[in-house]
Amino acid sequence: MSLNNSQTLTISGQDVVKNGSQHSLEDANTLLKPSTPSKKPPKPENSITIAVSSRVLFNMEKEQQIFEQQGMEEYIKYQVEHETEPFSPGPAFSFVKALEAVNTQLRDLYPESEELFDVVLITNNHAYVGLRLINTINHHQLFIERFCMTGGNSPIGYLKAYNTNLYLSSDPVKVHEALGEGIAAATMFTPDKMTEVSETQLRVAFDGDAVLFSDESEQIYKAHGLDKFFEHEKAHENKPLDHGPLKGFLEVLGKLQKKFYAKGQRMDCPIRTYLVTARSAASSGARALKTLRLWGLEIDEALFLAGAPKGPILEKIRPHIFFDDQMFHVEGAAEMGTVACHVPYGIAQRVPEKKGLKDKEVSSIK
Amino acid sequence: MVSTVQNSDVKQKNEDQAVVVAVTFAAVFDAEAEDDRDVYRLGVALPLLQVLQRVNERLLEENPVEHQLFDIILITTETRQQQQSSSIITSTRHHGLEVGRFCFSSEDDFIESLAQNNVQLFLTTDGNEALRATQQGVPSALLDKNSASCPSDQLRVVLCQDATIQPDADSSGASKKSAQSFLTRLGQIRQKFGMFNSPLCFTIVTSCGGKDSCCSALKSLRSLGVSVDEAYCLGGAPRGPILSILRPHFLLSDGFSQLEG
Repeated sequence: MSLNNSQTLTISGQDVVKNGSQHSLEDANTLLKPSTPSKKPPKPENSITIAVSSRVLFNMEKEQQIFEQQGMEEYIKYQVEHETEPFSPGPAFSFVKALEAVNTQLRDLYPESEELFDVVLITNNHAYVGLRLINTINHHQLFIERFCMTGGNSPIGYLKAYNTNLYLSSDPVKVHEALGEGIAAATMFTPDKMTEVSETQLRVAFDGDAVLFSDESEQIYKAHGLDKFFEHEKAHENKPLDHGPLKGFLEVLGKLQKKFYAKGQRMDCPIRTYLVTARSAASSGARALKTLRLWGLEIDEALFLAGAPKGPILEKIRPHIFFDDQMFHVEGAAEMGTVACHVPYGIAQRVPEKKGLKDKEVSSIK
Repeated sequence: MVSTVQNSDVKQKNEDQAVVVAVTFAAVFDAEAEDDRDVYRLGVALPLLQVLQRVNERLLEENPVEHQLFDIILITTETRQQQQSSSIITSTRHHGLEVGRFCFSSEDDFIESLAQNNVQLFLTTDGNEALRATQQGVPSALLDKNSASCPSDQLRVVLCQDATIQPDADSSGASKKSAQSFLTRLGQIRQKFGMFNSPLCFTIVTSCGGKDSCCSALKSLRSLGVSVDEAYCLGGAPRGPILSILRPHFLLSDGFSQLEG
């Protein structure tokens, strides 16, 4: 967004123009400085730790097939033989690159701060595969200095040891385990084609119920139907919803956003968040927004679809990552090229969905 | 004056091929507590002794005539202990420990007896003893009260790589060589088992150095014939939380020099 655009929009709060011009002078000076050759990873208690498994960071489909069809020994043999061949990017790759872009901008503005994203590779793989993974990280120039290759042991203990804020894996069992331990987690799927996403602005899209919020309202819908759901939400408009598994992650994103706002970067903030919900703006949406406001959380764009499919709107938004608790929506998003992740939380996992019904009234609430 | 006594309850191992592990009296027994019948209670090294025995059992299952087994010797490192030889032997047999030999030495000559017995790994609860042994070229590791809670079905060996330890500063050429030789033997033992359900597990923990440091560690271990099972690169994060999950029986560091439990 150019500076001209931001000047014409109404901004509540700080004086963007004044800060903006100061900032750009500082910015120019900072850009002229050569970048620090050896960046140290931040201490885990200060940073925002994003743990990714090897299969979401990189494309290991071929190797996975070998493992499934020919067993572990052949899989290891293949990996070692191809040790110097880097893997190609997986679905989480562009997300990780965007995190690094945010870090670069944060370091420019706050050179002493350790409040940065810290990407950790946590994989079940044996250390035999380690060299190939390290070679690949180097090849793609990713800044990942922490990893755990657990040789088949559960990664959950390590996730906790590193104060993990978000865990992404292709294995739903591990994701489920992580959620059970109170760690924000989601199963990432690979879309057939991945639409291009921004390299400078991190975009994260969330579903509402059972992702940011608890599944309490979802339960009402499943038990009593849509009308009851609308009634209930209107009646309880001013009662905040309980929190869901990804609320904490939205919170840390908001903290970082405020750091950019403090330096005058509200309009072209390198982090942008979206709520993409099947709630309707006319009725059930208010409760969602009021809950967020009560939590002190801001979301940049809230899209109330009133039951419409999410794929097309996500294709316009182009988030690096989208979280939803219902596979129906995850698949719909993936079909249109969005990297979508399933959060296996709440009532939707136990009650089968009413898929494929055109009538909006009875279609699934999200 | 060093004396070595065989434990007749235990089948003696092949001298050339066995991996000799010496454990001090103070590690094996809880020296303070002695019950009425002159029998010492067991100390922090118990899980370790059990797991070394377990590895031997599994090795013999794979190959009934296997010679590359762990050979455990109990060594005294103080004159006072040296004089308790009969109690020590009685206690060992009472508890049915798979100790092949006893070395009764004092603080002045225990290093010599380590050399005489071709000890490849010296385990103690005393930091000074560990340091002295390392300086004389015997790989050593420290056992502490955390060791008492380690699992006894899988020997967990953790190699700690710390970029702050200079490779040549603390360890002499001889000690580096003997450390490598010990690792090579462990690697050979590891090779006898498959990927899963192995009674021995090798782990690397790179504390301060980055992924390239971990990379070169993996490669140099591979050249010694050691296939590493698990690898953790901490990028400066504290080791404590990771080690409490790993629960190593002992930690070995770069030159096998100063170590912590």
